[in-house]
Amino acid sequence: MDWFPLLLSLRVASLATLMAAVLGIGGAYLLAKGRFPGRGLLEAVASLPIVLPPTVLGYYLLVVLGARSPVGRAWESVFGGPLVFSVTGAVVAATVSALPFCLRTARAAIEQVDPRVEAAARTLGLPEWRVALQVTLPLARRGVIAGVALGFARALGDFGATVMVAGNIPGRTQTMPIAVYDAVQAGDDARAGTLALILAVVAVAVLLLVNRFSRAGV
Amino acid sequence: MKRLLLVLLLLLSGCSAQAATEDGPLLVAAASDLGPAFTELGQVFEQETGRAVTFTFGSSGQLSQQIVNGAPFEVFASASATFVDDVVKAGQADAATVADYALGRIVVWSRGDTGPQASLADLVQPRFRRIAVANPEHAPYGVAAVEALQGAGVYDRVQSRLVYGENVSDTLRLASSGNADVAIVALSLATVEDGGRFTEVPAAAHRPLRQSLVVTAEQGRAQAAEDFAELVVSEPGRAVLARYGFAPPEG
Repeated sequence: MDWFPLLLSLRVASLATLMAAVLGIGGAYLLAKGRFPGRGLLEAVASLPIVLPPTVLGYYLLVVLGARSPVGRAWESVFGGPLVFSVTGAVVAATVSALPFCLRTARAAIEQVDPRVEAAARTLGLPEWRVALQVTLPLARRGVIAGVALGFARALGDFGATVMVAGNIPGRTQTMPIAVYDAVQAGDDARAGTLALILAVVAVAVLLLVNRFSRAGV
Repeated sequence: MKRLLLVLLLLLSGCSAQAATEDGPLLVAAASDLGPAFTELGQVFEQETGRAVTFTFGSSGQLSQQIVNGAPFEVFASASATFVDDVVKAGQADAATVADYALGRIVVWSRGDTGPQASLADLVQPRFRRIAVANPEHAPYGVAAVEALQGAGVYDRVQSRLVYGENVSDTLRLASSGNADVAIVALSLATVEDGGRFTEVPAAAHRPLRQSLVVTAEQGRAQAAEDFAELVVSEPGRAVLARYGFAPPEG
């Protein structure tokens, strides 16, 4: 049994969830509290990964980040290797896929926080960033954690975007869902079934864990 | 919450992926009709050179797109010379290393438990409700299948019943899983697939499937890639390919 795809999947999904959580919670706060032009457009664009087929999303990412694009060239000149078809590429694909789940769920939770509590904090002299970190986000934590858990689930299961951006290179970029696909293609039903079962068990275990922590931590 | 973060950090630190090194396995992108044959050649290569080979199988069109977009494959073995040209034109390969290594053949494949063996002309029968071919947009075997159907004069009558596989291996999977009644696939896959029977389509029924390869490794790091390419076109390499049903290249 080759454990590489599982370890890679966990690593990619964890990193992607971390990035999607930072970007998503920050973005959610901005969208919930900020009043600026283009806000609706920003939210629509950030939600695109939910609507677009993952392969289309992957294609766009490949066009924007690929070796022939300005971003891809800049990346290669700085880091010495291409961004696409690497583990980093897989993390980017999973991050973009997970982002809207973190963002939308966190935004709804932030908007539900009673503005009078925030106002009270302000009258006590807290600056706006401390109101956000010490009042709003702690009160919205259930929704925020739920969003991050959803994002992790999405990142762990991504196939379409990852296979376009990171490819299917066994031992390098072959994540669990891609390994399942590969085994099916090769006619290796036993391996496909085992991998699919392991992925399902791991996903359920992680989500149970997150649920438990989010309840215990409240 | 703190404990959760700890678990996360352990995950991130505990399992770093192996870095790409020059001693790492040779990365070969190969058309999916080569799956069984190249897996055997990979073992031969490993015994001879001590270097492991990692294969990525897919449709030639998709693999060539990945290489053009910067995928780190060191050898590209296509089921069609056209896609090798694309990679060379994009500046991702050394034109001097292009070599034809075989001719591909197609067969009509069906499960052993689904009635009598079928030929191309039989496909008009209504018992073949779904006929799987590789997607002709990017899979050379799909192009050959469509040409053979047209040549047999049945394409117009079966067109509405065609279903497309992502690549020729996926196409065989559609039929072997019983989701399509019959498939037009590579002889090199049919020879090793259990539980089926097949009729060979004459080589003249479609334009030759000129299987061509090229070294796509970076300059200065191409030695192992060139060695592998040499193995494929060598006498022992051809003997392995012939066993899976590949004909030797023209000329």
